Amino acid sequence: MTKFNRFLSLILLFCAAPLSALAIDSQDLPDIKEGFVTIKTIDPTQRVGYTVGDVIEREVILTIKAPYTLVETSLPIKGYEKRYRGQVIGIELKNIHHKKDVHKDYTTHHIKLAYQVFTNSVVAKNAALGPEYLNLINMKNNKDLVKYRIPSLDIAISPLAIFGAVKVENNMSPMLGPLLMANTQEKQWLKIALVILAISLLGLLYILGVHTWLPRMGGPFASAYRTLRKTPNSAEGLKQAVSKLHLSFNNTAAMSVFNDNLDTFLAKKPSFSPLKYEIQQFFALSRQVYFEPNATHDIGNNPSKWLVQFARRCRDCERGLTPTPLDTKAGA
Amino acid sequence: MSDLQLTDWRNHALALESEVNKVVVGQHTPIRLITTSIFARGHVLLEGDVGVGKTTLLRAFTRGIGGGYQRIEGTIDLMPNDLVYHTYLGEDGKPHVSAGPLLMSGENLSVFFFNEINRARPQVHSLLLRVMAERSLSAFNAEHYFPHMIVFADRNQVEKEETFEIPSAARDRFMMEIPIVVPNDDAIMEALVFDTKFHNVDALVDTVKPDVLQFDELNGFSGVIQSNITASDTLKKYALNLWKATKSPLDYGVKVSGVDMNRLVLAGASPRGMSMMLRAARVNAWLNNRTAVLPDDIHAVFHSTIAHRLVFSPVYEMRRTEIAREMLSGIINAVAAP
Repeated sequence: MTKFNRFLSLILLFCAAPLSALAIDSQDLPDIKEGFVTIKTIDPTQRVGYTVGDVIEREVILTIKAPYTLVETSLPIKGYEKRYRGQVIGIELKNIHHKKDVHKDYTTHHIKLAYQVFTNSVVAKNAALGPEYLNLINMKNNKDLVKYRIPSLDIAISPLAIFGAVKVENNMSPMLGPLLMANTQEKQWLKIALVILAISLLGLLYILGVHTWLPRMGGPFASAYRTLRKTPNSAEGLKQAVSKLHLSFNNTAAMSVFNDNLDTFLAKKPSFSPLKYEIQQFFALSRQVYFEPNATHDIGNNPSKWLVQFARRCRDCERGLTPTPLDTKAGA
Repeated sequence: MSDLQLTDWRNHALALESEVNKVVVGQHTPIRLITTSIFARGHVLLEGDVGVGKTTLLRAFTRGIGGGYQRIEGTIDLMPNDLVYHTYLGEDGKPHVSAGPLLMSGENLSVFFFNEINRARPQVHSLLLRVMAERSLSAFNAEHYFPHMIVFADRNQVEKEETFEIPSAARDRFMMEIPIVVPNDDAIMEALVFDTKFHNVDALVDTVKPDVLQFDELNGFSGVIQSNITASDTLKKYALNLWKATKSPLDYGVKVSGVDMNRLVLAGASPRGMSMMLRAARVNAWLNNRTAVLPDDIHAVFHSTIAHRLVFSPVYEMRRTEIAREMLSGIINAVAAP
């Protein structure tokens, strides 16, 4: 060996030394002292009935207090086959997802582990997920390298089919519920159907309620009030407004209402009795607008505005309410 | 000028009504309708039982408007010439001819009352209907005119034996058919029985103030009313709809209980009937101090001017009065204005 080769070998030895230190088998390291690590696991509720191909997920939440920190290279490696006493046990880490939240005094690690079963047996047998060993290092003392053991999760692996003459009842476990068909899609269709049914029922109620959402909401005077509010304050608008109100009276009474049968109308619809004088005023206005331009009325100079208020009071009567007090300035 | 004239005449008309109301009690509606027909210059068919005061009513009106009043009783052997003249043997033993009820008052005849018209033969009806339509008569080689005459005829609706129903064409000549019924007010009924002033009709009629109106000016003034009281487009449309509804009530949703409406009406109101209705409505508007006709005015005269003109299927004729009343009320309730 030449001098140069010897020098190169030395450099390679120095470079490889730290890696070899990290590659130390975690199980050989001392355990971390209590109080520095807290663990929380979210394990699957099903512990039995797994068979070849099943994927089992568990989540580990570790909180590591300073000055210790996780050596992330010690996290389990995807595809690593678990062994027990050198024998492959048939549980393989299929996937790992790691996320950490670093705080001043501690760090929280969320580690999601997905194991897949690659073994089977003619009879049920025990198996375990883990344990996993993680390396932690003291940031203030590089030589203080310790391990933390994530406890294993015991599961049972079931055979794919019953082998031989087996009495099923003896093999049943109250821990294993019946296998159910996936019904997610059906549930979604059911929800959509229920929504459509609810909308249809609302529509039916609307139609049965004579196009009203509330009782008497779509009455003739309610409709007239809405129309009159949009009617222009002009001679033509006044004619339309009077005509609309006449129509409302006729529809309410199911007969043509005139000044000379007003008492009949009030007898049929006593809720309008408080408005008797105003109804007479309305007929006087109608007389002037439609029949006798020379006729007088005592409504005032702004009959359109008065009619809107009158329609609203009629609507109140129609709904069985006490009429809204009249704005005395309306017709002025 | 015509405004003053209208007001002045209205005061007189209301005074006449008031006078008649004192004599014939409990008949405000018929009295208003008769006043209306007098000013609308239309003939009237009175419908009512015996002894309800029809004659008294007409005599009271005649006294109030002046002019001649003549009356004839309808009988099965009454002949047309009985209305024009009658013959008798005089004291001198020679035959004499004297004027009958139609000619007796000459042109001053203002009220001619034909009692129980349906007891008279159709020949008599023919003569009377001509006189009603033309207000003239040819007799004794001369033409006689009755320009101020209004005919009031009464028909007995209860008895059907030995009667001749007035055909629809004849009924159409009458402007109104006015029902005269016994008042149902106990106080009025008691007065009619126990108050002795109602026992002597002559004395009772004499209490009416005479000549409240001038009968020979009524024709002229009637024209003033008709030309001064206006009808708006809305009202014309309303009247037109009412007319159509009398022809096809089912089109307007009008139904009469127990009647097949598809078979009921053979003919609705005639154009003459509708024009008479509007004449009467104008007079009613005037009497109520209005310058234009309102639906209320039409309602006031609708039954009395239209009911007797409707031609029903014969199967429903026996119930004519009640069916016509229900149907016309239904029409008023069904047709809107505006």
